[in-house]
Amino acid sequence: MDAWWMCEVPYPHVPKDVLDAADSVRASLPNRWCDPRVAAGLFDEVIDEYLLCDEMGLNIGATEHHAGINSLLGANPMLVSILARQTRKARILSLGTLISLRREPVRIAEEYATADVISRGRLELGFVKSGGTEMASANANPVNNIERYWEAIDLIGKALTHQDGAFSWEGKHFTHRHVNIWPRPWQERFRMWAATGDPHTAAEVGRRGMVHTLVLRGHEGTRRAYAAYRTARAEAGLAPVSTDNFAYSAFVSVGDTDEEGVRVGEKLLWFLNTSLKSAPQYAQLLPGTAPPHIAGQAWRTRPKPQSGGPNLVNAEKGVATAQENALKLMSTTVEQAMAQGIMFAGNPDSVYAQIKKFHDDVGGFGHLTIIGRTGFMTHAESEKNIRLLGKEVLPRLKAIAPMTPTLEQAA
Amino acid sequence: MTETLAPPADRIRVRDVDLEVVRQGTGRTLLFLHGFHPLAPDARFLELLSRRATVLAPSHPGFGTSSRPADFETLYDLVHLYRELIDGLGDDKITLVGASFGGWLAAEIAAACSHRLDRLVLIDALGLKLGDRETPDILDIFNTHPDTVRRRSWHDPDHEAPDFDAMSDDALTRHARDWDALSLYGWEPYMYNPRLKRWLGRIALPTLVLWGAADGVVTPDYGRRYAGFIPGARFALVDRAGHHPERERPDALADHILDFLGH
Repeated sequence: MDAWWMCEVPYPHVPKDVLDAADSVRASLPNRWCDPRVAAGLFDEVIDEYLLCDEMGLNIGATEHHAGINSLLGANPMLVSILARQTRKARILSLGTLISLRREPVRIAEEYATADVISRGRLELGFVKSGGTEMASANANPVNNIERYWEAIDLIGKALTHQDGAFSWEGKHFTHRHVNIWPRPWQERFRMWAATGDPHTAAEVGRRGMVHTLVLRGHEGTRRAYAAYRTARAEAGLAPVSTDNFAYSAFVSVGDTDEEGVRVGEKLLWFLNTSLKSAPQYAQLLPGTAPPHIAGQAWRTRPKPQSGGPNLVNAEKGVATAQENALKLMSTTVEQAMAQGIMFAGNPDSVYAQIKKFHDDVGGFGHLTIIGRTGFMTHAESEKNIRLLGKEVLPRLKAIAPMTPTLEQAA
Repeated sequence: MTETLAPPADRIRVRDVDLEVVRQGTGRTLLFLHGFHPLAPDARFLELLSRRATVLAPSHPGFGTSSRPADFETLYDLVHLYRELIDGLGDDKITLVGASFGGWLAAEIAAACSHRLDRLVLIDALGLKLGDRETPDILDIFNTHPDTVRRRSWHDPDHEAPDFDAMSDDALTRHARDWDALSLYGWEPYMYNPRLKRWLGRIALPTLVLWGAADGVVTPDYGRRYAGFIPGARFALVDRAGHHPERERPDALADHILDFLGH
């Protein structure tokens, strides 16, 4: 199993009373609450943490989110390029530029080609379906987002691999009559990842053989999503893939002791309890977010009672199908997070055991993408987390060999 | 090809699109194009109009239970669909009435083929960009808090705004389906066609522009300016109504329209 460390460069320093008064901490919070001097310091720290990951043998990944306290990284290719130049060994996963929100996939291909050359071939391309507040931030129509997503992936893929001069693309959402990018990428072909989540998209991800990434999904959702991928491949007559085609994203906090790992890990829950708050028009009422028979229920002001735990679908985008779900998710405790398999926390032995157990529970996955720092976790705590991860946990993760389970085993 | 069905039929087929439709009344044909949501079959506004006209009130593709083929996605498609529907009706000329989003549609259809129409009525119509580039004319219903949208949409929101908690699951499903369709057709440019303003001068037929005095989605000022682009158009306010006078003041609105039609 490979490990990829990520930090979204969150901005946790907006005063609490401002956040409490705002109906949304993403999309509409004015940037007067973002002090650029503080932000610059955060970028310094996080980039140093990425360099430490490189030193410790961890791979790294960069995300993209717009206009919110959850992340200052509105431009994924910029951080990817910085990491391309400043790191030496780590593979760099873009997970990723929000391609369905940008108007010109060809420009994205140019950015990736540039970063790949600067990194001397260490770039991996991950594509995130996106949703929620990002639609307002990008003025992107939410209803046909998934169509733009696949078409952009296809155009970017062709632009990065076509070496014979200009080609034309007149697609449904993107047209570009003269596509011919320089530099030629270092890599002849790129490993492509997808973070999408819903079963329908999981099937297409499977048919394309992309690395299927589940983010904070928990046991049941992850099992189902991996199964949808495998089933789609089998139904299409495609060869089964190993667990190297599966990735899982969770909070990870390693301390010298279980107590320390859990105590520091609790800080990561800021992601859920503070950074998700989205006004209804960007979240459960956003068009195209759910089928009408589900989306219609979100208009109720007094939702029908719900049983069970929070719905983790689209957790990272702050979307829930009902207000109750959102509230449950936001009030998740460390114990609940660990029980659900969205946080692995403790001393190195405990963290390894938790990851291994989750791995076995869901039928295996070859990549752990780590949400390693968020909220008020300090730079020192983050570096300690990285050092312990790299030194004590990573070697054991690497010993988990890929396997190719049968459909029955995986189910 | 349009197949019209004898009353009280509730569906009409236009080419590959199967539309739910309210059809009632006798007399001249009046085609009503709805706004954000279709009117219910028993809506008072439709019933009042049907006392003096054959009212045809289809739900646009993707709204209500009207089908929407996968490649039917733009205002261009809607305009051509309704042109085809109009051509398939037996009448020499019909009366076209459009509200809100349907008002935008009606303006487009009138600009394209006013020779098929005898009268045009626009009610709180969308469709034009009149302000400067930093001044939006139309309330952004997708990026504004629903409480604000509610407040700005009705003269008396507490009594007139829909009560979602009282709606059936079926009604809520239709509501959500309408919402998706609105976003598909109207997200960008937001609820207007930058080209339409230039061609409103083609509309060569008696036109009435009616506006809720309390419309906070598109203001009465916007409405007055809209009317100014259509030669000879009259403008009138509907008191104690917001963006949806066909729901909030159906009697007053129907009075204005039936007067205008000469009844």
